[in-house]
Amino acid sequence: MVPMSMIQDGAPPLTAAERFHDFLQRLVPYALVIPGLVFVLGVLGYAVAGGVVLSLNETDMFLNQTFVGLKNYIDIFKDPRFQSSLWKTIVFVVSSITLGIALSMMFALTLYHVGFGRRFFRGLSLVPYFVSGIATAVMFRFIFTTSGGFVNYVLGGLGLPTPSWLGDPVLAFIVAVLANCWFMVPFATLILLGGLQTIDRDIYDAATIDGASGAQTFRRITLPLIKPMMGVSLIWVSYISFSTFDIILALTAGGPLRATELVSVYMYQIAFLQLDFGQGSVLMVVLLTFNTVLSLVYLKIFVFGDRRYKAAR
Amino acid sequence: MDNTFVEFRDLRKSYGALEVLHGINLAIGKHAFVVLVGPSGCGKSTLLRMIAGLEAITAGTISIDGRVVNRIHAKDRGIAMVFQSYALYPHMTVRENLSFSLEMAKTPKDVMVARIERAAGILHLDPLLDRFPAQLSGGQRQRVAMGRALVREPALFLFDEPLSNLDAKLRVEMRAEIKALHQRLQSTTIYVTHDQVEAMTMADLVVVMNDGRIEQSGRPLELYDHPATLFVAEFLGSPAMNLLRGTVVSRSPEKAVDVGGGILLPLPEDASVTAGQDVVYGMRPEHLAIGKPGQGIGAKVSLVEPAGWETHLHAEGGGHIFRVISTKRLDVVPGDPVSLVPDAGRVHLFDAASGLRI
Ligand SMILES: Nc1ncnc2c1ncn2[C@@H]1O[C@H](COP(=O)(O)OP(=O)(O)OP(=O)(O)O)[C@@H](O)[C@H]1O
Ligand SMILES: [Mg+2]
Repeated sequence: MVPMSMIQDGAPPLTAAERFHDFLQRLVPYALVIPGLVFVLGVLGYAVAGGVVLSLNETDMFLNQTFVGLKNYIDIFKDPRFQSSLWKTIVFVVSSITLGIALSMMFALTLYHVGFGRRFFRGLSLVPYFVSGIATAVMFRFIFTTSGGFVNYVLGGLGLPTPSWLGDPVLAFIVAVLANCWFMVPFATLILLGGLQTIDRDIYDAATIDGASGAQTFRRITLPLIKPMMGVSLIWVSYISFSTFDIILALTAGGPLRATELVSVYMYQIAFLQLDFGQGSVLMVVLLTFNTVLSLVYLKIFVFGDRRYKAAR
Repeated sequence: MDNTFVEFRDLRKSYGALEVLHGINLAIGKHAFVVLVGPSGCGKSTLLRMIAGLEAITAGTISIDGRVVNRIHAKDRGIAMVFQSYALYPHMTVRENLSFSLEMAKTPKDVMVARIERAAGILHLDPLLDRFPAQLSGGQRQRVAMGRALVREPALFLFDEPLSNLDAKLRVEMRAEIKALHQRLQSTTIYVTHDQVEAMTMADLVVVMNDGRIEQSGRPLELYDHPATLFVAEFLGSPAMNLLRGTVVSRSPEKAVDVGGGILLPLPEDASVTAGQDVVYGMRPEHLAIGKPGQGIGAKVSLVEPAGWETHLHAEGGGHIFRVISTKRLDVVPGDPVSLVPDAGRVHLFDAASGLRI
């Protein structure tokens, strides 16, 4: 056998033509992706740029625009209704993420271990997106209606108090979080389940022999190994929670007493009911900024911060 | 055996209604290097995982060091296991991989450091300690997997096909390294493989398994020279033993075996067979000599494989293919006539119906 080093030493350096050919070959994958990328970025970019332009102008009913600079921003940030909606949004998002990720993790682990119905669930998990947020809201109204709703029917049967779920500000907020979770948890579950399934089962056997308990295995092996998938599901649940407005609109319409008036709902109010496109666009920019910054933070921590990713570089 | 370290008593395993191990009985001495070998699906891994405590025991008992371990957790059995996939923790450095089990056992820091140092020294892992598994070659990962087993200072090492993901050259190297490690540490070892060469070269005790049963166990050359069943005869040795089905005939003064195609093969003088009995006649390729023309079995060379220090031949005669190994450099090409002379004293005879050695 000829030693490798001799082969390498003997190989003539590449000519300029060969190097150019090499370069072209490496461009091929990019060339294939570019048309799709341009289209997606074009559409998105147009919408975002349009929104930013709108936010810097006063636009009347006839779509005449006057440039007003940051006036819309200043006005909206002084608006107590906005400030209150921002706080509610933060509480809504934080509780949705916490509950949503906990539920998704629980479901993913269950499906992983049970195995039964995994395929069925994979199909089922897309149903919420087909039936739309409005249908979700309608379903939750049925469940939580004060008289004749399923929950109160059960509570009443058990001799427990039957509160007015959608009439009480705190309870309505909780129901809104639940409905939002119902909508977004299945997909987050799928992402996490996908992550769990990439883990070699021998690793768990090794951990068992090494003496790790169930909880230690979860914390020291499972969680770190699905970290990137955790990041992706976090991006998903935060994005949905910041942006959701159809569910809220159909469930509570922002009430009672504006208890569920999130920024997204307020944006709809301003832009489409008060027809103030300028201030509505400011809220769009606010939501977009939150979503983008959070997504970048997740990517930084969970994907690029993953030790294996760092090690691979 | 009074130095028995591991013992299986009528060990059974079922998955639902399917029984995959049908009553395994075996005693393994202290310090022994035992190789479980057998074809794919015969239950080797299942047996090993039952010893490790990763798989429940359906019936029977496993004892390690005089203690029945059926109900003892894997971590408390005093075992360590090396997996075929290595099963290193991908998100931990080599050092963290090694320290994980010690950390779980709340080992004092200084003991931990000492043990990792020792394992790293033995397996030459020092330059790799801060790398991640993805940054290692196959052979290095293999050594880390062994290091992770080593730091636990187990009384019993379990290996499940640890070399099957390595290339041929590395496999031979690691084979020697594992054997050397065993000679140094003297820990009792149970090693699973489907590679009979590994079994022959590494084992003190080879256990040939087939279809959930132990076919035969013994020292490697004992099994090679006296296979108790047709299965063992066929399984051990490469190239495999020539096995020809035939009938015992009386050919005065002595008996012979008629294997068809006009070929009569000589029987050893002490063979206890009767005329008319159906038998399988076995000859190791190295026990077929090339004779002078007219002598022995007339055949035609169909394949020549010069392996350097020996030559492998395939020769066709009487509708049979004969595998021959000669330590001479043979000047033959396919198509040449050869005569093959079996060494009657080293013939293996099996009952055709039961497959048992006669
Ligand atoms: N979890 C399981 N459920 C059902 N049957 C199983 C399970 N695990 C193994 N088996 C069956 O048990 C038998 C023995 O499997 P095992 O993995 O022990 O074989 P093996 O000898 O290690 O084979 P290989 O050399 O391919 O690794 C096989 O027939 C296999 O199909
Ligand atoms: Mg196996």
